[in-house]
Amino acid sequence: MIARLALGFCWCMLALVLIFLFAPILIVVAVSFTESPIFAFPPTGFSLRWYGAIRNADGLIAAAWLSAQIALMATATSLVLGTLAAIAVVRRMVPAGEAVAAFMASPVMIPGLVLGIAMLQAARAFGLTDAYSTLLMAHVVVTMPFVMRTVLASLSLFNFDMVDAARTLGCSYPMALWRVLVPGILPGFMSGALFAFIASFDNYPVSIFLVNVRTKTLPIQLLNQVEISPDPTVAAVATLLILATVAALIACDRLVGLRRMASI
Amino acid sequence: MIATPATPAAAPTKERRPFDPKALIVLPGIAYMALVFLIPVLRLVGDSLRGAEGFSLSGYDRVLGDPYYVQVILNSLQLGLVTTLGTLLLGYPAAMALSRAKGQWQVLLVALIFLPLTVSIIVKTFGLTIMMRRDGIVNWLLVNLYVIDRPIRLVFTEFALYFGMINVFLPLMILPLYSVMRMIDPRLGEAAASLGAGPARTFFRVTLPLTAPGIVAGVSLVFSIAVAAYVTPGLLIGDRFMTMSQVMAKAYLNLRDFQLGASMAMIMLAIALIVIFLATYLARMGVARDPPR
Amino acid sequence: MSLSAGLAEAVSEARVDPDYLRIEKVSKRFGSTTVLSDLDLAVGRGEFVSLLGPSGCGKTTLLRIVAGMLAPERGQVAVGGRNLTRVQTHRRNIGVVFQNYALFPHLTVAENIAFGLRAQRLPAALIGERVKEALAMVRLEDFADRRILALSGGQQQRVAVARATVVKPALLLLDEPFSSLDRKLRETMQIELRHLLRDLDITSIFVTHDQDEALVMSDRIAVMNAGRIEHLDTPARVYARPNSLFVMEFVGQSTRLGGTAAGGEHGSMAIDTGQGRLRAPGSFMAGSAVVLGIRPEAIELGEGPGDAFNTVRARLRDIVFFGARTMLYFEPANPADRILVDLARLPGGLAPGATVTLRWPVAETLVFPAP
Repeated sequence: MIARLALGFCWCMLALVLIFLFAPILIVVAVSFTESPIFAFPPTGFSLRWYGAIRNADGLIAAAWLSAQIALMATATSLVLGTLAAIAVVRRMVPAGEAVAAFMASPVMIPGLVLGIAMLQAARAFGLTDAYSTLLMAHVVVTMPFVMRTVLASLSLFNFDMVDAARTLGCSYPMALWRVLVPGILPGFMSGALFAFIASFDNYPVSIFLVNVRTKTLPIQLLNQVEISPDPTVAAVATLLILATVAALIACDRLVGLRRMASI
Repeated sequence: MIATPATPAAAPTKERRPFDPKALIVLPGIAYMALVFLIPVLRLVGDSLRGAEGFSLSGYDRVLGDPYYVQVILNSLQLGLVTTLGTLLLGYPAAMALSRAKGQWQVLLVALIFLPLTVSIIVKTFGLTIMMRRDGIVNWLLVNLYVIDRPIRLVFTEFALYFGMINVFLPLMILPLYSVMRMIDPRLGEAAASLGAGPARTFFRVTLPLTAPGIVAGVSLVFSIAVAAYVTPGLLIGDRFMTMSQVMAKAYLNLRDFQLGASMAMIMLAIALIVIFLATYLARMGVARDPPR
Repeated sequence: MSLSAGLAEAVSEARVDPDYLRIEKVSKRFGSTTVLSDLDLAVGRGEFVSLLGPSGCGKTTLLRIVAGMLAPERGQVAVGGRNLTRVQTHRRNIGVVFQNYALFPHLTVAENIAFGLRAQRLPAALIGERVKEALAMVRLEDFADRRILALSGGQQQRVAVARATVVKPALLLLDEPFSSLDRKLRETMQIELRHLLRDLDITSIFVTHDQDEALVMSDRIAVMNAGRIEHLDTPARVYARPNSLFVMEFVGQSTRLGGTAAGGEHGSMAIDTGQGRLRAPGSFMAGSAVVLGIRPEAIELGEGPGDAFNTVRARLRDIVFFGARTMLYFEPANPADRILVDLARLPGGLAPGATVTLRWPVAETLVFPAP
């Protein structure tokens, strides 16, 4: 009886938690469609004017474009570097493989600001003044742990005899990796890439130290906007970002299945 | 490009393990991380130990000897602690319900808990500031629940800070809890009850110890991230509640006081690493005492 | 076609080209451990040869060297007169059935079988035809579009065999392909696979640690120990006339009696054992320590007529019933020894505790130097 009540209480808490978690997100979406420039709640009227205003907003589109580029290139780089290292670790080609894996995944344990400061100082010391390349280099470090974790997990479940099998059936070694290894670890690849991309695209604490006036990533520009002129334009951008995320998740689900991705 | 095919008939070498050229594929990643990650962090450690003339602990002395900065550190710890406690109290029962959901429902509910993590923290915090306004939904709720008579100012209060922090980090508590809870056989509770254990006893003697690994994982994750949070406190309370993150950012971006920033960064790093290693140690101990079946 | 007729045919064909697969002086080390040392092996065309040995004897390493997945430190491998030592795996045209089958889970059954044909860039129509034939051959026509993980263990094994053979390999290697099947299925699949490979006329090397499997399936067995082939012969001869004590102990069961050679003449000698003085064919220096071995079905109960038999008395300890036959375990005088007898039919009134007289032909007594 009491156990039943306890479980009922748990279900109520879960419902409340879901409402709580989604409230700020849904409010942002709602506000993006209001008419008035001061975002009152509940919103009054319906308009798409703030979506039109994005174009005129200072630097938002440029910042989004920059963030997308950085996130894409950083993710691709860490996928290549991380997967190669992960193969060496899983195949026991190197001594102390576990330490190698732990090292490659360790940036996630370092507070973002600390990482950002460290990189800022290093960039200064080495005379690296170009914000774009500094950001890119730093974001490879930010994305690496996500790639390492998921790719290692899916590689350790992968049966490497399959690569040999493909070779005995007439595939060269690189061909065998492409035809057998890549499809086999695709779910891990996809979820790793997705997390990595999001981690880079949303990163604030590392980027804040590396941007300059002309080169600003979207989170920096967005936070600026929120602090200086908070109007529903920000909500409109945010809504588009949420939509893009959901679209990406659905696309991944179609491609490899979120269940398979989640199991990695 | 990925690896060269094995070279046949290599001469036997004197080393214990003949060198496999394929092992070179580990190098680009290691070299990159050493250069762009390890060296900068080590240099930062060096910065924190450098005074006007060479080696000095004056940076740490300035931070730990100044009541203002000590208060800043305590603020950060308080922020981490309250956030962790809040997420644990809300998240534990929610995760329990999640682990009891059936089949397809469980997948859906877990996805719903996970989804907010993919939404930018800035977007969520922005939504939170709207909720906290005098005419926002939180005030509306509090008035209609007769908690307060008329709307009060919430933005830039500690209430807003903790409300927001818990909101942002709650999924990071629920997911590790859930992943442990779903492995627990729900019949264990029934078994305990059939042996005459009351509900409270069952909870404290069976459920809580079994879920301890999840609690350790969730608590350490949330604490180590919350203690270093920057964006959410900055927007929800600002300079009224200075945290280590705020001081570090100011030291580098405004004051150009690298020694101060580096020392603060090292203290923050130490806190984060201590929490993580403590959690790892606790998890190992749990495993050693209670081998998985 | 009966099994024995097929065997005769295979053996005669092997004589046509007895060196179809030729492994010469192959050596392999991992670090300081020598896994294979100067190993030689010749396999005739169409022959089915088992590499039998305990784990760690080097059999899988040898298989991987033949397939080109490992490079030997020394020595060479040739198939059909073509030296493959420096040829990469994918150009060797050697099929492999892996221990866990290594089927591709992201492909269907038909796509798995077509994999090698696609790698050869054959025309699509031809690929379809060959895949269909292969599916029919392993009786999986109705499973073409199934996913691998939806198949049972036996079906997966058939897909693995079809995938490896559909490319018409010059040589087929099988790495313990039965180890993940349950016993009953294993026995059926052994016979099925043997027939299939004989029909396809593929030269096969079969790696196993299971002596029953090797005895059932092989034209010849190579018993391996510590990186060497200790005995290479037909199953019947490996069983009846093992080359070494190791081979006798590894293949089948046997009575084992330690003793000392006491001299003899004309290829026959006397040996003093815990069970008394026995005779055996062969000649060892008087005084040297030897081990006698007798296969359990060579031993009969009761006194033997005349000089042609060895006779001992021993107390019966245990009777173990296996259905078609019964195994009797006796108490030897020396605890390091072992006496066992295999009977098709158990005489009435025999019970543990009885002392029984045993006999076996002197000619069937095996003698090895003591280890």
